[in-house]
Amino acid sequence: MLSFNSARTTATALIAYDLCKQYGEIPVVQDVSFTLNFGEVLGLLGPNGAGKTTIVGMLYGAVTPNRGFVQFGSIQVQSDGRTARSKMGIVTQEDNLDPDFSVFENLLHFAHHYHLVGKTARKRVGELLARVDLEEHAQKRVDELSGGMKRRLVLARALINHPQVVFLDEPTTGLDPDARQEFWKLVIDLKQQGCGVLLTTHYMDEAQRLCDRLLLLQQGQMIDQGTPIELIDRTIGKEVVEIEGVDEARLQALATQFDTWCRPFGSGYLLALPTIPTPLWDHLVATEPQRLTRRRANLEDVFLRLTGKVLE
Amino acid sequence: MKRLSATPWGVYSVWHRHAKVYQRTWLVNCLPPISEPIIYLIAFGFGLSPLVGEITYAGQQVSYLQFIAPAMIAIGVLFQSFFEGGYSSFIRLNFQKTWQALLTAPLSFIEVFLGDWFWAATKGMIAGGLTGLVAVIWGLYSPLNLLLSLPLMLLGSLLFGAMGLFTAGSVRQIDQIKIPIFLLIVPMFTLCGTYFPRETLPPFLHAIATVLPLSSLIDLLRWNLGLQPYWWLQLLWLIMLMLIFVSLAVRKIYPHLIK
Repeated sequence: MLSFNSARTTATALIAYDLCKQYGEIPVVQDVSFTLNFGEVLGLLGPNGAGKTTIVGMLYGAVTPNRGFVQFGSIQVQSDGRTARSKMGIVTQEDNLDPDFSVFENLLHFAHHYHLVGKTARKRVGELLARVDLEEHAQKRVDELSGGMKRRLVLARALINHPQVVFLDEPTTGLDPDARQEFWKLVIDLKQQGCGVLLTTHYMDEAQRLCDRLLLLQQGQMIDQGTPIELIDRTIGKEVVEIEGVDEARLQALATQFDTWCRPFGSGYLLALPTIPTPLWDHLVATEPQRLTRRRANLEDVFLRLTGKVLE
Repeated sequence: MKRLSATPWGVYSVWHRHAKVYQRTWLVNCLPPISEPIIYLIAFGFGLSPLVGEITYAGQQVSYLQFIAPAMIAIGVLFQSFFEGGYSSFIRLNFQKTWQALLTAPLSFIEVFLGDWFWAATKGMIAGGLTGLVAVIWGLYSPLNLLLSLPLMLLGSLLFGAMGLFTAGSVRQIDQIKIPIFLLIVPMFTLCGTYFPRETLPPFLHAIATVLPLSSLIDLLRWNLGLQPYWWLQLLWLIMLMLIFVSLAVRKIYPHLIK
């Protein structure tokens, strides 16, 4: 069912409705519907194989859904992907920069596909290089760039046409923390300029930091959606406890007694602390565990609660 | 489906990208098509001419150099367009992911395909044209002959470029491109009347060599020495093969890009 988050909706940029995709007999994406609004970052969060890249492919026409459609303004992507892409920016997961060209030429020749040539193209390329802080590297070959620089260049390439929406498919995978931070700033800039950004990631901190709304995916299905805070509050509560060295049956009994839940987590277990004050904590201390940690709940806990699996 | 439609700008834009890459190393790129025919002409022409003397072709006596010059043009067309369509497109498709990057721009699959195909044909034309120029300078082919042969060179370039693209879409590993090279390209290079009249081959081999497309292209490029009685069939054969291979190439490459 297609749902709209009316509280935050400014204007809908894109509607994905009932997307289904299967390869042979294997379903990869099943019944996924969502909207992307201008000026928001929507996150697709899920482990490898959850169908995130396939969904992104369907959004710009590289993957044809078996059922469902993507509506981008008045354009239906599946029947007119070319027109849709003229207003979209796409950062694919794989590095597909042109190794035959310099940094500057990569953008210049890509601009050509958007009918941008001559001085206009050079001016736009200069603006973009400044925006992603690659001006000093303009004449370098692509293989001379660091991983972070390459990702910034791919983003610059995706922005050549002043896109209304940008799809970022795991854009920071493999980057060091500094490079990720720099990339995040660019994403926040895009959002502030009113661009609709769809971001796929399996990094909890990235999702929590950047995304206004999240769709949680597992095995091609959407298992929940909401803002990061909503998802955490609704699914977990405020705090969780990590505990090691205590028998599972004893912990499950405590969880049942205090109307909460317990899941295997690493070498121990994770329990949600009920929002209403209870003596659960005291009971856990009384079990004399090898390790007992109380902390704020996060999206990883949400995922663990919903799927029984840790997000990797 | 608009993904199967093409605009002139879209096709040109993809072709333009390939041309810009070529332009960066144009001297190195132009060297083989110039040097190869000169080497072949020197080696076979000077080396074999005294032994062979003159050859009877289409009922008239022609010098050995005049005989092999049009074949050298066809060989340039064959090698450059097939290897660009085969190796280079395979690399762009599977290693550099250039095709995938282009399809994030407002380009349709057909535009990207045609851009690649026409570029492969362009390289065939460059090779054939430069070889023809050497033949003209050598006095083996008149400038008018060369000019009037350009459409034939274009047809050959499109055909062999399509064969290369079909190969690029069919093989899984780059080394597998050697299979059509050994099974098709090398036999064509050696058997299709390049260095000797096909009539000297045993009937079985002669029949095989005659249906290979390079034979038709070479025979047509030797039009200044005399055309075969069935020249129009050869022309139709080349056009038909080109349409078959380009259709097969589209079918093979499309699933790589649009899932």
